[in-house]
Amino acid sequence: MAENTEKFTIQFDGQSVEARSGDTVASSLYRAGRRIFTRSFKYHRPRGLLCMAGNCPNCMMNVDGIPNVRTCITPARAGMQVRHQNAYPSLDHDWLAGVQRFDWLMPVGWYYKAMTHKSTWHLAEPYIRRVAGLGVAPEPGSGSKDYEHAWMHSQVTVVGGGPAGLQAAFKLAQDGSHVVLVDDQPELGGHLRYRKQAGGISAELIAQLKANPRVEILSRAYCFGLYEGNLLGVLQFSPHAGAIERLIHLRSERVVVATGAYEVPFTFENNDLPGVMLSTAVQRLIRLHQIRPGSRAVIIAQGEQGDEVVADLREAEVEVVTILGPHQVISCAGSSHVTAVHATDGRFACDLVVMCGQHVPNAGLLNQSGGKLAWDKDRAAFLPVNLPAHISAVGEVTGTGLVRALLLPPEDVSFHKRSFVCLCSDVSTADLRDGISEGFDHIETLKRYTTLTMGPCQGRMCQLVGIGVCAHQTGRGMGETGVTTSRPPNPSVSLGALAGPRHHPVRRTPMHYAHDESGAVWLDMGEWKRPRYYRTASCDSERACVEQEYRAVREHLGLIDVSTLGKLDVKGHDAGKLLDKVYTNRFSDLKPGGVRYSVLCDDAGIMLDDGTISRLADDHYFITTTTGNLDFVQQWLEWWLVGTGWNVGITNVTGGRAAVNLAGPKARDVLKTLTECDLSSNAFPYMTCRDAEVAGVPSFLMRIGFVGETGWEIHFPAEYGEYLWNKLLDAGKSLGIRPFGIEAQRLLRLEKKHVIVGVDTDALSNPYESGMAWVAKLNKADFIGRNALSRLAQAEPQQKLVGFVMNEEAIPQDGAAILVDGALAGRVTSARYSPTNGKAVGLAWVLAKSAAEGAEIQIRVNGGVAKARIVRDAFYDPAGGRLRM
Amino acid sequence: MSFLIPCPHCGKRSVYEFRFGGEVKKRPQPDAAALEWMEYTYTKANESGVQKEWWFHRSGCRQWLQALRNTTSNEVVEAFYPE
Repeated sequence: MAENTEKFTIQFDGQSVEARSGDTVASSLYRAGRRIFTRSFKYHRPRGLLCMAGNCPNCMMNVDGIPNVRTCITPARAGMQVRHQNAYPSLDHDWLAGVQRFDWLMPVGWYYKAMTHKSTWHLAEPYIRRVAGLGVAPEPGSGSKDYEHAWMHSQVTVVGGGPAGLQAAFKLAQDGSHVVLVDDQPELGGHLRYRKQAGGISAELIAQLKANPRVEILSRAYCFGLYEGNLLGVLQFSPHAGAIERLIHLRSERVVVATGAYEVPFTFENNDLPGVMLSTAVQRLIRLHQIRPGSRAVIIAQGEQGDEVVADLREAEVEVVTILGPHQVISCAGSSHVTAVHATDGRFACDLVVMCGQHVPNAGLLNQSGGKLAWDKDRAAFLPVNLPAHISAVGEVTGTGLVRALLLPPEDVSFHKRSFVCLCSDVSTADLRDGISEGFDHIETLKRYTTLTMGPCQGRMCQLVGIGVCAHQTGRGMGETGVTTSRPPNPSVSLGALAGPRHHPVRRTPMHYAHDESGAVWLDMGEWKRPRYYRTASCDSERACVEQEYRAVREHLGLIDVSTLGKLDVKGHDAGKLLDKVYTNRFSDLKPGGVRYSVLCDDAGIMLDDGTISRLADDHYFITTTTGNLDFVQQWLEWWLVGTGWNVGITNVTGGRAAVNLAGPKARDVLKTLTECDLSSNAFPYMTCRDAEVAGVPSFLMRIGFVGETGWEIHFPAEYGEYLWNKLLDAGKSLGIRPFGIEAQRLLRLEKKHVIVGVDTDALSNPYESGMAWVAKLNKADFIGRNALSRLAQAEPQQKLVGFVMNEEAIPQDGAAILVDGALAGRVTSARYSPTNGKAVGLAWVLAKSAAEGAEIQIRVNGGVAKARIVRDAFYDPAGGRLRM
Repeated sequence: MSFLIPCPHCGKRSVYEFRFGGEVKKRPQPDAAALEWMEYTYTKANESGVQKEWWFHRSGCRQWLQALRNTTSNEVVEAFYPE
């Protein structure tokens, strides 16, 4: 790696910084002389590189617009834009660094102590939001969309590409298993890559693994969660040039966890100063990036623990000033970087402090899998036990070969406000002591009170020390104190990766592009796109357009695309029996050629859906459902068929058929120019249906009237969608036809007081309270909901769905509150301005005692209150004469 | 929640392919007592252990099936089409 290095530049805060191939963002900045990488969460203390392994929060920056990127493991790329976070104006001169002088004002549990009144929070929040925290989320819509999701399956997944993981993957593949190897580093080898004394990597082993077709290697990928059914959440960085991150849903029959161990820091005053580093970080800088980490180093190590790094430092021509035992260290001196170590036997000037810390098994995944972590006194570590079947662990994560160091805290642990345990949220040993003395002496309550282990590093740096302090202060042992539960995601996952590529399926009706040409303004209804209204040259606002469409239907003729209606073809000798059982209305006695409306209830009598059902033949029915409920209704019908042995087949024909509703006083005049079918009311009365050709297209016509005018719903093969749509518009041109959208349809039906199930009703609405008692045929044999409905038929209704007309100009919003004598008495479900009434009309749920015809109610409109009156009949053509013309 | 359901037609599949239909309960006779209807409509056994449930294989065979699921471990012991 040292040879043939290629040089390029990245941008840091607007300055060019030289980087070399193999560099991470952090290593190139360090080589260029940068020592402060972040400012801490709460006190804005300067922080520098600590772990160089992606474990701690000290190097998080904004990279190419993405906040909180761990720069120590992010490969540098030419032209990268890197910016600092949480400091103003710069990392080296942060005005907010003064905050730490007031740390005495911010005791542990500060929020609970200071925010005792809700007004305090309102006053403090804007300030806290500015001062505390990490990176800033990108503006909505401005973030990158280059995130991917992928799904993978394997027989075995090995997590960790260190020596143990490599051996395991090799052996498993040799035995014939398909293996996926997940490694978070850019290259395989784990600690062998930077620990010269550990024996070096077997290049041959890695080459064999890479050549083995049964082994799939995911590099720069970390496993953030192990879920039920051996589902692994894996996040891979830069899987290819076109993607920032890829989230992999990896399902594996077996999982081998070889995540190794990571080194954690010691606690002493100012242990967080830039220049105080873990020994493995120093080794990484030297071996992986050929960087001389400092000029004069003090080593903190137990016994021979420091020998390895001392040799590395000497090789890198760093002077080793002294080697101190952890007990000897009192504090570090320096303001923006370490300048000396104060120890029991003197002061040692230096510009680098190397901590040979405790190595902690990285057992979070094993904990998530259901395994327990038990304290092993001999190895001074929490080790996985009782692993579930199909999960195993190898290497240092099990405790074997674990590098031993002094267990913390020592008996004479220094409780100092600037002796940091948790670097993510600035929690010190003194804070932990105070928290425990305030009664939060259980490790789980201490965690919640102090936020220990809850920051971006998820406890990697602080968990063991926190447990140690808790055990020491309470006099309980480490094992009894125990570990906090590991929960995914750990490490954290960006929201962009979770959101994924955001591909939403869209369904367009067969006439979609005809609507587009007519100026459709679109409305999303589930997956469907539907015209909300049509913007034409003659109208310039939604209200004007909708009113024109409305008038066309009431006075002449309108055409609406209803292809999105759910359409089910139900066939078989027992089809009528099924519909009688599931719908509240009766269908077995419906004559072929007849149409009936019905609702669908559950056994509690709650309305689930509604629609029309046409009988085509003795054993053949056609159902329409509401747009969003098709799947539900089909599944509901099939559910009640299970085990009956009835002869019924249900086919979903929604996508195969287009449908339009031609409605208005001129509907017959236009339609008869296109069909031979006798459309007179004698031959084709209201609520009947016929097969007929329309403009040569084999069609199915239903004479129904959702909008309250004479009209036909025409169903026909989707292939002819645009053709017949245009034919009908052409034929109606001279009579004033207009295409109309959802908004006009909602207004038209509202004037007729036609309820939309799911809009005007909710999960507590039954037909009686909704004013549709007629639709429940209690005198037929048992059907779904009959028992509950017969009880409801006898009961006093609690509330009623009623129509109202405003007494004044105001138009209430859907959902507006209704008041009677100043008390809340209901809510509006739909309200629109009704051109026929000259006032707004609507539907509303009102307490039964206040719902008498003619009663006055008050509705909240625009912060005030407007008067309205309850009306029993439809607001338009209450007798329904126009439907039957 | 990411367990697998062994669909009798499609094999082991992710739970996300299925729609949950609740506990399998016996619907009372039309003339059953009000209490029996109330129990059926509103109460659930919510077994801590293995219970029989309805599942609909939405992204597969599109059939209703029944599964014996351990509610404490989400292990599906068996899945079958009901008689």
